[in-house]
Amino acid sequence: MMSAGFFIIAVISALGLAGLLLWALRGASHRRTNEPGLAAFENAPHHLRNMAQIHQAMDRADLQYAAQKGGQRLADRLRRERRQVALLYLAAIRRDFEQSLRVARIVAVLSPEVSGSHEYERLRLSVVFRMRFYAIKLRLHMGTVAQPQILTLGQMVTSLALQMEETMARLGERAALAAELALQSER
Amino acid sequence: MLVLAELPVFTLGLWGLATLLTLLLLGRMVAFEQYREFPLFCTYLTVNLLQTAIGVLLYQGYGFTSSFSYQIAWTTQAFVVAARALAAAEVCYLVLGKYKGVWALATRILGFCGLLVLGLALYFGRNGYTVGITALEIALEACIATWVAGLFLFARYYAVRVLPVTGLLGLGIGLLSCFKILNDLVLERFARRYGDAWNHASLGAFAGILLIWIWALRKSSVETVPEPRLRPSMVYASLIPQVNRQLAELNEHLTQLWKLESPK
Repeated sequence: MMSAGFFIIAVISALGLAGLLLWALRGASHRRTNEPGLAAFENAPHHLRNMAQIHQAMDRADLQYAAQKGGQRLADRLRRERRQVALLYLAAIRRDFEQSLRVARIVAVLSPEVSGSHEYERLRLSVVFRMRFYAIKLRLHMGTVAQPQILTLGQMVTSLALQMEETMARLGERAALAAELALQSER
Repeated sequence: MLVLAELPVFTLGLWGLATLLTLLLLGRMVAFEQYREFPLFCTYLTVNLLQTAIGVLLYQGYGFTSSFSYQIAWTTQAFVVAARALAAAEVCYLVLGKYKGVWALATRILGFCGLLVLGLALYFGRNGYTVGITALEIALEACIATWVAGLFLFARYYAVRVLPVTGLLGLGIGLLSCFKILNDLVLERFARRYGDAWNHASLGAFAGILLIWIWALRKSSVETVPEPRLRPSMVYASLIPQVNRQLAELNEHLTQLWKLESPK
């Protein structure tokens, strides 16, 4: 007779596997095409063009000036609005980051040779990135994170996207990959 | 007199239904030449029908309680599970096989995971089973379910398109394996109390999954995913290490950001 422990673990594992099957298939079959399509190549990071305004919105001196001239109530309102701007900016960074990851996945899918260690490393780093990202978002909600530092994060994400663009252009593959994706989007 | 007539009517009905559905599915696949697309899945259905035929002959000749019938019945079950494992591998290939790099990676990872699950199930179940083949069946079924679930995870992660027909065939194979595991566990633990219920659940689940497969293959022509045009491996080799480096820097920056306190 099997032990109760093994029985329970095996039953939970079987039910878990069945759930995982349904969840993973739902996600995979909902993608009628290779989702990113041309957009991944054609959309430059959006937040780049708003960098100057966001920088100003997060400037500490600006807030101090508002407090001196308009009083504490105005400064508090400004701080709340600035936090909203920072959150929106953070969401934009996330989108750009995901876009870069999608491009990397497309390159992997269309490559005849894929390195397990590179793929694992990217998966690991993206999981870590997401976890830290949410932790910082939470801190931003609580007002305990230095907002100007987020600008640097945005610049880094933008730099990742631009470097990918440059590398693909240098290799002469940007147009070919975009064409392949456009073809797949039409199917 | 046919020995099958001794079976309870409900069991006989379910058994007949499952056999008819299998025949219907196999007949359709042959008529519409879908066996060209899914040869191993077709083989699995054929092996299943053969097992049924052998079972009828065995029970007719030796009865339900003979140890010879018991041994042969479980041996044919090994062939059925092996055929289903091949059908699962076929589904995996149909989804990822066109993408050579990802396919090579998936076979390594899924092969390792499958073997790990197989080994763990055999190791931890080794003392528990009065019938060794039940432990082996559970291990093989766990291995198949892990492959199929892993395949769908790969497809999801890489945004690879899974055609509805392939997806449903894979889902059926995976769910059937999960159900077989649950069923074998219950059989082993509560066989005496729920003897008939085990048979009914097993046949009912199989009939349900056959209906899913019939639905999946309802169209006479099978849709296919066009061949992707793979890019030179140089693109991957140049781009991906760079992406990983940048990701590592981003993570480093996030860590620093986490440590910074907001000015009061």
